[in-house]
Amino acid sequence: MTTLGNMEKWTLRFAVVALLFLALSGFEGMLMRSQQYNIDSLHGMEALLNNLRPGDVEPTTAELYYAMLSAHPIVGIYGFVYMAVFGAFYFLVPYLIQKPVKHPKLVVANFWLQIIGVMTCWAAGFFGLFNAMYTLYWPLPVAFDRVPVVGSIFFMLGAAAIMVNILLFSYNIFKTVLSKNGEGSYTMGQFLRAAFGIPRLLKLFGKEDKTAVNLDYNGLPPFIVAVARGSIDTVINAIVLLSAGVLILVYGLFALFGHPLNPLAVDALIYKNIYWWGLDMVADGNALIYTAGVWYLLVPLLTGRKLFGAGVVKTVIMADLLVSMGVWSHHLLGDTSQPMWMKILSGQFITWGEYFTMGLTIFVSLMTIWKARPVKMSPAMKFTLGSMFGFVMGGIAGLIQANVGLNMVFHNTQWVVALHAHTFLLTGVGTMLFSVIYTLVPLLTKLEFKHPKLVDWHLWLWLIGSVSMAYAMGMAGSNGMIRRTLYTGGEFSTNTLAAFIGGSVVSIGFVLFLINLVSTIGLKNVLSLVLPDRKTRQPDPLQAPAQ
Amino acid sequence: MEKAEKRWLYVLIIVFVIVNVVTLSSLIPWQSWQLWQNPEPAQVVKVAYNDYTITMDTPVQIKAGEFVQFSATSADVTYGFGVFREDNSMVFQMQVLPGRENQIIWKFDETGTFDVRSTEYSGPKHSDMVVRDAIVVK
Repeated sequence: MTTLGNMEKWTLRFAVVALLFLALSGFEGMLMRSQQYNIDSLHGMEALLNNLRPGDVEPTTAELYYAMLSAHPIVGIYGFVYMAVFGAFYFLVPYLIQKPVKHPKLVVANFWLQIIGVMTCWAAGFFGLFNAMYTLYWPLPVAFDRVPVVGSIFFMLGAAAIMVNILLFSYNIFKTVLSKNGEGSYTMGQFLRAAFGIPRLLKLFGKEDKTAVNLDYNGLPPFIVAVARGSIDTVINAIVLLSAGVLILVYGLFALFGHPLNPLAVDALIYKNIYWWGLDMVADGNALIYTAGVWYLLVPLLTGRKLFGAGVVKTVIMADLLVSMGVWSHHLLGDTSQPMWMKILSGQFITWGEYFTMGLTIFVSLMTIWKARPVKMSPAMKFTLGSMFGFVMGGIAGLIQANVGLNMVFHNTQWVVALHAHTFLLTGVGTMLFSVIYTLVPLLTKLEFKHPKLVDWHLWLWLIGSVSMAYAMGMAGSNGMIRRTLYTGGEFSTNTLAAFIGGSVVSIGFVLFLINLVSTIGLKNVLSLVLPDRKTRQPDPLQAPAQ
Repeated sequence: MEKAEKRWLYVLIIVFVIVNVVTLSSLIPWQSWQLWQNPEPAQVVKVAYNDYTITMDTPVQIKAGEFVQFSATSADVTYGFGVFREDNSMVFQMQVLPGRENQIIWKFDETGTFDVRSTEYSGPKHSDMVVRDAIVVK
């Protein structure tokens, strides 16, 4: 393996930790799948693990299940996906714009703070039995007869650490993109005006601002445009979630010191609107925009051909940014107090905006590949195509549930979490991140993956497993199986067994990937990424742009 | 914009129009009274939620083909009100937010006995919130 620069090393460190979080999240998923099939299946393990928990508390199976279910998405999204995104962007952004990371020390801080935040949330579930789910519907997180107050406080501290860390990461990315090649940098105001296309809009109306800096992204690669615009969603998401976390933390601290506050002082519907507006900046915002950006980067790179219709894609990214700010009501279609016009406009029609933006994104990516025939089916290309399939499947499921009429029978069912959320995350985002790993590992290490057949096994097991798992649970949802509900009478055991088998297939695919990765890089090299460097510290390690 | 992109955009627009027109129309039965009518319910069924308990006068007797309004309130956290057939499939549902009168109008076009289940997670005992044979439609 070639000698790695420090930024390359940090990228691989982020990737290694991201994969560890994916393994943890997947392990939790399989444990819960087995409990969905048979609620008593983990009694032995529960008794054993209770010895690790403080005090003489003997939590019920339901308390343990829901605590695990609350931690599971935090580990999967903020542990796996965000860590992978941090690592990839910290390499790719400087690499593409030929500028060093503006604040190198923040890279190290981001790495550790994310691990601390995610593990604090996880520990709040494991030890503190926090069980209010990531949706934190008011006033459940402050109903301390149901959610342990200490667990709630620690979960919020962990979530706050994650959100502050995301803000620091976004700040560093913005500063890097905005820094001039010479001295100084553009201001955030100039950047935001450019990000929302205001100078261009003014020009359309004949009011050209000749003093405005040329930040309308004309000279930047689409990937950088996507990173910058997606990061606006990332920042809004972090601010809203941080605010909700602080609110819950205040309630928790007052309750802890014997002066509980009135939960009904906060309106549940208004809170839900604001919370989902912020939360959706991830689900329907940066996830789509970052993914589009990655495809815009990888497809030309892998085919050696200019992106088809490149002039349109920056507008598509901008449309995605605007759409992401108006779709949140599709999470409130089951709330009869929510005005119907908001359900139809925001919940249904604007959500279809994503269908247009992602529809065009996938079209230009596929057209680029089509026009580049014959295309070498490299590992990264296979996984890129797989991720597009995941987004199409998860997107269609999302449009079905984000429909005022159909939501009546799909809301809060397993359909939502399986066919939409898990398909998006595993078949879509997960496969896309693997395509990035399959691209970056050879780029960084100058090593090709040792076992090409294992790449194919990984691809097909991952796709078949994740699709069959989602399909099995999605069908259970369409037959009335509610999410976040433990069925004890074997009502949906056929579906849950099929989902368990699907999850096992995904796990085997993931293990084969790890075997291939470690045998390619070498165990010693992998360990050297996570163990302290024995060599003398080099001066100014992260200043030079990665080449 | 490339020619092929334009053509694809037209396809997307056609699919958008067809799906939305169909699903907002009365081809989906409950859309007719959710969106296009303002029916007067023949009866109002009150449902109260508190401390993991669903309180309602059971069994609620309903005539098939008549409009009935379900009005649910919660004294503590957010719950869900879902009506399920005996085979566990869902007829309809709504969220039950505290501090609000959560109302939905429904017309049963099938006879039978139905369970009521909370469809929103409200804490570790949420899964037990089922009222068996809560509604009888004749």
